[in-house]
Amino acid sequence: MIRTESIHIPFTYAAGGTSSIFLAALRDEARILATPCPACDTVICPARSSCPACGGPTATPVDVGPAGTLVSWTELADGTTLALVRLDGADTSLVHRLAGGDGTWVAGQRLRARFGESRTGAITDIVGFESENGAGR
Amino acid sequence: MRSVAVVGTGQTKHARRRDDVSQAELVREAADAALADADMCAEDIEAVLIGNMELFEGRGLPELWVGGGAYGTGKPVMKVATGGTSGTSTAIAAFHQVGSGLFDRVLAVGFEKHSEGHTQTGMALTDPFWDRAVASGALGNFALSVSQYVAAGHATEDQAALVAVKARRNAARNPHAHLQMPDLTVDEVLASKMLAHPLRMLDMCPQSDGAAAIIVASDAVAREHNPRPAWVKATATRHDQCYIGDLDRRLLSMRTLRDASAHAYTQAGITDPVRDLDVAEIYEPCTYAELAWYEALGFCEAGEAGRLVEKGVTSMTGALPVNPSGGVLSTNPVGASGVIRVAEAACQIHGRAGQRQVERADLALATGYGVYAWADVVVLGSEP
Amino acid sequence: MNDRVERLDVPILMDEAWHYASGEAMERFSTGLAARRIEALRCDGCGRRYLPPRPMCGNCRLRMTHWVAVDDTGTLEAWTVVHQPILDGRTGEERPSPYGMGLIRLDGADTTVNHFVQTGGPRRQGVTPPGPPLFIGQRVRAVWREELRGAMDDILHFEVVEP
Repeated sequence: MIRTESIHIPFTYAAGGTSSIFLAALRDEARILATPCPACDTVICPARSSCPACGGPTATPVDVGPAGTLVSWTELADGTTLALVRLDGADTSLVHRLAGGDGTWVAGQRLRARFGESRTGAITDIVGFESENGAGR
Repeated sequence: MRSVAVVGTGQTKHARRRDDVSQAELVREAADAALADADMCAEDIEAVLIGNMELFEGRGLPELWVGGGAYGTGKPVMKVATGGTSGTSTAIAAFHQVGSGLFDRVLAVGFEKHSEGHTQTGMALTDPFWDRAVASGALGNFALSVSQYVAAGHATEDQAALVAVKARRNAARNPHAHLQMPDLTVDEVLASKMLAHPLRMLDMCPQSDGAAAIIVASDAVAREHNPRPAWVKATATRHDQCYIGDLDRRLLSMRTLRDASAHAYTQAGITDPVRDLDVAEIYEPCTYAELAWYEALGFCEAGEAGRLVEKGVTSMTGALPVNPSGGVLSTNPVGASGVIRVAEAACQIHGRAGQRQVERADLALATGYGVYAWADVVVLGSEP
Repeated sequence: MNDRVERLDVPILMDEAWHYASGEAMERFSTGLAARRIEALRCDGCGRRYLPPRPMCGNCRLRMTHWVAVDDTGTLEAWTVVHQPILDGRTGEERPSPYGMGLIRLDGADTTVNHFVQTGGPRRQGVTPPGPPLFIGQRVRAVWREELRGAMDDILHFEVVEP
C-alpha cells in the first residue's frame, strides 16, 4: 500500500550579515555584489561572510558583472536552462537560468544579467542571463 | 581507547530570533568562540562534526551549508542527527573520533534556528500510516506523559514551579542564556498561560536560535590547549521503541536514561551520584522532566524528586547543583542543546563558568534527551 | 556594521507530496480500518500485543505473525488538553484549539494509541469545547468517520463512555 501525504510548511530564512547586503543591492540598485578574500586573493560571488576555500573572513563587497561568461549549461526537462555564469570580476560561478535566444548556447559565450522590473530582494531579482547581444547566438 | 578531553567551549548569544546572522554565520560565531577558548586556530582542527535536527529549518544537508562556517572545507565533515540528543551524540561521536586515534583535535558544533521554521510541525511529521493526523509535537507528547507522572503522585505543580524558578534564576548568571528572568517567582509560574494541561508556559523550554561548539583533544595534546582539560570518564547511549504508545508510562519508567546512567556511573566509578558528582547539566525540556530525570539518574528514590528540589539539594548551593546554566528550560536551540550540556559541564571542570561556577568541580554529568525516550549520558572529570 | 544594514529574510514554502510504502503489516491494519476492524500483532515470546502492528517485537526481536482482534473501546491511560495551536504540516493550516488528546489502551492491545479525545460537546471542525474533566482510567470509545478510507483518521476521535 502506498500513501501520498503532502507536507506544507512555510520557512523564513535570515539572510544574515553579508547576504542581506547582497540581496538589498540586487533589489534597490540592480547591482551584483561579490566579496574578496584577502588571504586567497579571490573574489567570491554571491557575496558571503567567509571564504569558502580558506574559511577566513571576507572584505567589503565589490561590484561584479552584470556581464559575464557562460561556463556550462544544461536544459532541464521542463524547458528551463540552468547555467553556471562567471561574472566579470568574480572568481567563482553563479548558478542561474539562461533566458531568451533560440536555445543554442556555447560555453565561453558572453552573457548579461537581465533584472526584473519589480524586485523583492531575492536571487530571482535577476530574471536570467541572456546573450550580451540581447539574443541567443 | 586513549583518553580524550574537552579543551575548549564556545557559545553564541542565544535568542528567540537571531536574524542578524545566517545559519553559517551563527555556526561560525560558536566555532570561533571555542577556538579562542582552546587557544587554537582553525588550521589545527582535523575534523568537524555538525549536530542539527532535520527538517526544523527545512533545509537539506545542513552540514553542507554550515560546514564552511565550522571551518570544515578540506576536512572530514559529518552530520549527527538523533533528535534532541543530536548535540550530545555529536559530542560523543567526537570523543570516539579522537579516542580511536583517528584525530587529535576535533571540532563538534551543534546549531538550530527555530525562528526559521515550525518546530512543533516538524516534530509532528510522524508515521503517515499511524499518528501523523493527530500528532501534537513535543508539547502534546510531554503533556500526556506528565499527566501520568502527576497522577502517580510523583510531583505537584508547586514542585514543578520550583524547578522553573531555579532554572531561570540560574540563567540570570549565564550571559549566553536566552531567557533572563532573575526575579521569577513560583506564583508567576503558576499564573502563566496553560499550554497543554498540566504544562504551563513557564514549565516549558523556549525555542531558541543558537549554536554551541566544543573542541575535543587527545591526551597527547590536551594540556597544550587547556591547563585543566575536562576528561571524558564515561559515555552511554540508549534508544527505545519508536511509537509513544510503545513506552509504558515513560516518565515513570524512563528505562533508557536509567540504563544509560547506570552504565556510565559504573565506567566512571560513581556509586552515589549526589555525593560523587559535583555538578550536573541535564537536558530537561520541561520542569516535570527534570524531576523525572532525578529519579532515573538515581539522584533520589522514585517519587522523591519534588522533595529534592524543595530542600534545595539541586540548587546552586545544594549538594549537587543541577543546571547552573539555566538548562534547556532557559535556552533551547535543539541541535545545540546537547552540545551546550557538555560544554557547560566542561566549562565547570575548566573553572571558566564565571558567575555560574560551582565550587570544586572535579566530576560533572551531562545528559541528552530526545524524541520519546532516547538518552545520552556523559561524565567528565578533572583527571584522565 | 550590521547595525546599519537592513536584515533581509528569504521566505520559502515547502509544498511537496511524499509517497510512503506501508509494508505488509501496516497494509493489513489499514485495510481493516476501512471495515472498522482493528487488529494487532502479538509477540509469541513476551505476549505483547502491538498497535500499530509491525513485523518484529522490539523487546524480543522475534518476528510476529500472530494477529489478534482489538476492540474500539479502551481505557484512557494519559490525557491533556492542548491550548497551543499547532500548524498542521499536512495542510499548512493551524489546527483549531483547544483539543483533547489521550493515550488509549484499547481492549485487546498492550501498547497505547495516541489520538484526539472529546472533552465536551460535539466536536466541530476539529475543535473540542471544554467539558467534563478527563481522568486516567476513564473508559473511552472510538467515534468513526462515516465514509471510511482505510486510514488511522477513520477514527475521528475518542469519546468518553458514560458508566
